[in-house]
Amino acid sequence: MAKSSKLDTLTSELENRLDELFREDVQPVEAPPPKSSSSQPLAELKKIVLSIDWEITHEAVESFLAQIRLLKEVYQADKIVTTFLQILGSLGQYIKSNRSKAHPATFSLLNSVFSRLEEITNFSKMPELTQRKLLQAELAAYQQLRDKISQRRAADEPKPAPAAAEPAVPVASPDSSVVTAEMLAQAMADVKEFIRSEIAALRRQIKIDASR
Amino acid sequence: MAFVNLKNKLIQVKIVYYGPGRGGKTTNLEYINRKFQHRINSEMVTVKTHGDRTLFFDFLPFDVGLVNGYQIKIQLYTVPGQVKYDATRRLVLRGVDGIVFVADGMVVRRDTNIQSLRNLQENLASYKKNLRTLPWVLQYNKMDLREQGIPMMPIEMLEQDLNLEFRRPYFPASALEGTNVVATLKKIITLTIASIREELF
Repeated sequence: MAKSSKLDTLTSELENRLDELFREDVQPVEAPPPKSSSSQPLAELKKIVLSIDWEITHEAVESFLAQIRLLKEVYQADKIVTTFLQILGSLGQYIKSNRSKAHPATFSLLNSVFSRLEEITNFSKMPELTQRKLLQAELAAYQQLRDKISQRRAADEPKPAPAAAEPAVPVASPDSSVVTAEMLAQAMADVKEFIRSEIAALRRQIKIDASR
Repeated sequence: MAFVNLKNKLIQVKIVYYGPGRGGKTTNLEYINRKFQHRINSEMVTVKTHGDRTLFFDFLPFDVGLVNGYQIKIQLYTVPGQVKYDATRRLVLRGVDGIVFVADGMVVRRDTNIQSLRNLQENLASYKKNLRTLPWVLQYNKMDLREQGIPMMPIEMLEQDLNLEFRRPYFPASALEGTNVVATLKKIITLTIASIREELF
């Protein structure tokens, strides 16, 4: 009986102590929140895009990239949406590396790509051909931006740029009429190559830091 | 195995957050560390790799304080969720006293949740432990994503997949927003201390 009483006292005191230690926390939720039929998967991304358009902060860019990663998982079965997300992710990496020095056209392209993506995801009955045409237009604009960045860099500084200094999503030839499976595969391969180069650069940096 | 020093009246327990990659284990610890740092007065140790993934583990120790004459210390760990880090996960599980299994509530993560729970059972078996005797709770994370229209599993489905044979306490949660993060933590601490209290009296 005495042993049971001691155990109860310990449990009770522990719970009180934990309540005291974590007292500012929100109340436990008994059930999952109700489903909102009006909400859309891109709602959070939209807020972040608008936020980046207003001011480029480290937090906003990190949130943007995290949201892109999440959406890639959600839309992994949809190749067209995935390609849109790759373009956005690549633009995000470029903005992260260059911040306010990013080419001014980057932000208008970011908004444009996001708007097209929103259009496609909001209208599930949009024909695939229309979706591909929208993607093709954004890929062409993306290629133009890359060219502009390369020209500006060539004019400004002749030395080689770091790995993440330029958007790295591959783009189709602007005069192509449709996006083919090969083009998408090539886009995926180039993104993988970009990630590999980033990791290699990071490893080199770690070695340098470790040797100091 | 919990460290219990009856002479000095000191209890130290190890709680591990386990689950699939990108499920929110680190986010749980980050929330606790950020929100209550002024009170727990501790430092979170974390090793991350490219892309902010957990490379080895996260570690957050803190003192609960004096409870019924015993000084209680808690050590929170996470494991790397990526499949390739199985040796690290097994290592972190050594001496575990309580587990929080953080499942990802997204529909696309259904299989990875199941695989991760299976992996946990296998790794516990290497220490001759199992989920029938060990204190553990489940956290169904990312419930906030439902508001964004992202397909999420109903709680009933998560329960069916992960908790049918165990019937352990579970918490729908959003580690990012802090919803039920502390409720989960309080529950696993209480269960873990309760499991070792037989040694105390």
